[in-house]
Amino acid sequence: MTRHRVSAKKIQTIAKKEFKELMREKTFILAIIIQLFIASFSTFLVIGLTSFYDPSMLNNIEMEDTNIAVVGLESDEFYQILLQERNIRPYLYNDFQLAYTDFYERNVDAIIVTPAGTADGTGLLNVDIYLPKSEIKATVVSLQLKEPLERYEQSVRDVRTQRLPGYTPIEFNIIKRGIKATSTYFEFIYVALLPLLVFTPAFISGGLIVDFITEEYERKTMDMLLVTPASMLEIVSGKAMLATLIVPLQSFVWMLLLSMNRVEINNSFQILLTVTIVAFILVMASTIISVLFKDRGVAQLIYSLVLIFLFMSSYLFTNSPLNLVTRLSIESIGALESWTWIGIYMSVGIVLYTAMIMAVRHDPHNI
Amino acid sequence: MMAGWLTIAKWELLRSKLKFDVKSVIMLTLSLILVIIAAYAAAQTGMSMNQKIYLAAVSQADVQPIIDTDQRFDYVVVDRFAASTYYEYGADMGIIGRNVYLGDTRKAASAGDALENTFKTYRELTLTAYNDVNNSHPVWVTVHDLERPQNFQLAGAEETADSFSRGFNATTGLPEGVDSTGAEGGSSASIRTGSSTVSPEEIAALDEMEGKTFFEKQTLSTPTNFSPPVPFTAILYAFLFIFPIYFVSQFYSTSLMDERTNKKGELVLAAPLRGRDVIIGKTVPYLLITMAIQTGITFYIIGIPSTLAGLERVVLVLAAILPVVLLFFALSFYSAILSRSFKELTFASVFLSVVISGYLFFPAMFANIHAISSISPITLIVRLIEGEEVLMNTYLFSTLPFYFVALSTYAFGTFIFREEDLFTQKSISSKIVDCFEMFLSYPYGSVFLLSIIFIPFVYMAQLMLIVMLFNLPVPYSIIAMIILSAMAEEIVKSIGIYTLFKRKIAKLSLRNAVKYSVLSGAGFFVGEKAVAVLTLAPIASSAFGSVMTMGALLLIPLVLHTTTVLVSSLVMYKKGTRYYLASVVLATLVHSIYNIVILRGLFFD
Repeated sequence: MTRHRVSAKKIQTIAKKEFKELMREKTFILAIIIQLFIASFSTFLVIGLTSFYDPSMLNNIEMEDTNIAVVGLESDEFYQILLQERNIRPYLYNDFQLAYTDFYERNVDAIIVTPAGTADGTGLLNVDIYLPKSEIKATVVSLQLKEPLERYEQSVRDVRTQRLPGYTPIEFNIIKRGIKATSTYFEFIYVALLPLLVFTPAFISGGLIVDFITEEYERKTMDMLLVTPASMLEIVSGKAMLATLIVPLQSFVWMLLLSMNRVEINNSFQILLTVTIVAFILVMASTIISVLFKDRGVAQLIYSLVLIFLFMSSYLFTNSPLNLVTRLSIESIGALESWTWIGIYMSVGIVLYTAMIMAVRHDPHNI
Repeated sequence: MMAGWLTIAKWELLRSKLKFDVKSVIMLTLSLILVIIAAYAAAQTGMSMNQKIYLAAVSQADVQPIIDTDQRFDYVVVDRFAASTYYEYGADMGIIGRNVYLGDTRKAASAGDALENTFKTYRELTLTAYNDVNNSHPVWVTVHDLERPQNFQLAGAEETADSFSRGFNATTGLPEGVDSTGAEGGSSASIRTGSSTVSPEEIAALDEMEGKTFFEKQTLSTPTNFSPPVPFTAILYAFLFIFPIYFVSQFYSTSLMDERTNKKGELVLAAPLRGRDVIIGKTVPYLLITMAIQTGITFYIIGIPSTLAGLERVVLVLAAILPVVLLFFALSFYSAILSRSFKELTFASVFLSVVISGYLFFPAMFANIHAISSISPITLIVRLIEGEEVLMNTYLFSTLPFYFVALSTYAFGTFIFREEDLFTQKSISSKIVDCFEMFLSYPYGSVFLLSIIFIPFVYMAQLMLIVMLFNLPVPYSIIAMIILSAMAEEIVKSIGIYTLFKRKIAKLSLRNAVKYSVLSGAGFFVGEKAVAVLTLAPIASSAFGSVMTMGALLLIPLVLHTTTVLVSSLVMYKKGTRYYLASVVLATLVHSIYNIVILRGLFFD
């Protein structure tokens, strides 16, 4: 048999056929629901966890005052600091037993035993904090105590670090402009949420193509397809094309949804391009895996491992695809740098594409 | 017949060995090694892809070493004038002398916040370099957890709290006597002397604190490192334990699907074996493999036990993970039977894994914070690893729904493990109806029992809804919650009746419509009350909780459940089973209106 030229038309036909099947099985809808679930779960985390970690986020909400039992003396420096705190009402006790009774009866929510010793001394100062076990109140109290504790540490350090030879404290004055933004929240949105959301369709497409191809082998329908005028390369390319093209569509919807939630995204075109290229890379990689291994379970497992490997590797360098999307979305990258990296990923895609063609041509199943 | 499933199991093991030829084993090992290397390298970094997201314009050299410690910052060194016009070239801040000027964007504001933390971290770094802990880290914080009786009633929702008072007294545990406090606290003087010895005298101890592993609970720290107990460890545990389950269940479902696509299973079914034996035989090997992996993970985390108590801890951890494995397997088994193609199977299993993981993760994040966390078995594992006691009722509370759902899913799947469902292109919905038909044709099968069986499913679905709807604004989320949970309840109550009429097990008459509605409604009521008393008590106090357990005023819910299911069965009686969907929508509407009327206090408060 003579090797005929790869026809773009046939690739399109295959892609259309796969698309129709995908729609008929309604699996696509399931994929969307998965992503929706991930998204709502992440937002749940954003609101839940960042407010835990950021007392300043909770400042907007009127937090109720906490009653705290302080076991110590009137003159204790830490007690004085607590007195100035807005949301804390400290009550002085001279006996732990009495404080514990009030704690047990829910009159106070925490017990603090102030350290014996002063800043002028030499020994370590240990603050004992007793919190109610398995209660959300424990978290709230810890949050409220963090700042006074740091202030206490600072005041002791002001005295004691003078004894350290050659130490000068860092004194910078950060002049704020009245915009309330915490780095935790901001970075969660742009460093974690946005890249994960736009890349999830790409991750899914990589798994999808494994099914597209191994299914034909396992059902023994690949041989049947090969009898048709389409060549194996055309069949595989058609499937790969579909798997790649549905990615930017989904990512676009995600970005739209985020903008509707008032998350501003810059350079959306470049982001979509990056996502599409990465989807292409993943699809090519898993096409090669499927053609080489043919068994669905094995191919899926190898693909997942490769995906984890790539994900872990992207922690290691600046401008990894996820980092690139982050930097593009908040305009932290120049045009030259971003286009260079997009070019690099594009060449990776081309190399994998060539490798895919070779894998298909050398496949013993190929006619 | 005992050996029936054993034969299948042996065969299954042999076959899966064949699947891994030399080529795939080499490739798998290779990629596993790569993953381990990359993960190790990544763990050395800050584990965040936040490189160079902020840009600072710096006019003097002494800030550079500080900013260099934080990978989030990119900087340009410029003269004082250029630094003062930082915003013109996209920088977020200009640092001139001792002053840091921020831009007027949100990004610049968060860059300022980030810089503040960088300064703090740098200060700690420099101070740690001095080998003089008394002067560099003079203040230490020791956190102790103290037990006191939890009080759900204080949180509100009196009407639910009332009816559950019996239930939750059992779960909260009795308050410990005051005499135990003597051992814990003692006089204040003894605390002072006791606590000063706790503090580390050596800088080495401090280093140990900084490199504290994920698996240690924080009790002692300096104020800067002092953080609220938000247990990210729980998420890590969940990942460690659940990843292998996910992979093995992929193989499991592929193997089941293989039987169907290649019709190899027909031979198995033709052999003198019952469907049940085939299922057990195909499941047991995968179950054993998974449990072996889980044992390995447990050993990795808490070490190989040397004492009997240590061994008991390992067994308890495994006992907590078993129901999770069973549920994963049951759902992959069921979706392997329903799916018509691998694509469908992949989506179904990914979807289900995400849902179960959500159910496991979400409550576990509040381990050590709130009692609600114990609905997830992962919380049990966290507690066990941290060396705490887990009571029998806590174990049952979090694992029973898993066992129930897993076993009933297996049972339903077994009903349709037969030729006409496995090897034909039947639609998914008719396969599902097949399950119920089989169930209802058994002598003990009735809509009453069916409704009870579905309770754990509804319960899990509603918990998931809480997570899903959390990010809608408040009045809408509660309305959506009411409508969707009503819908879930209406579907499970009427699906049995639908099956009876559709498959002509019962005649489509007015008498039957009423009879089965009463049975189904009563079944749901009985099941709901049982579950409520057993499990829902801790969350009955939240607004969402009261939606889930609407039926506090005992008799009214019985009437409600019967009436709404009667609505759908009457519609089916009048219009035929083709209008099933419409009938459920109508019933949902009635149910929701009732709930909204009851809960109106939440809206008009």
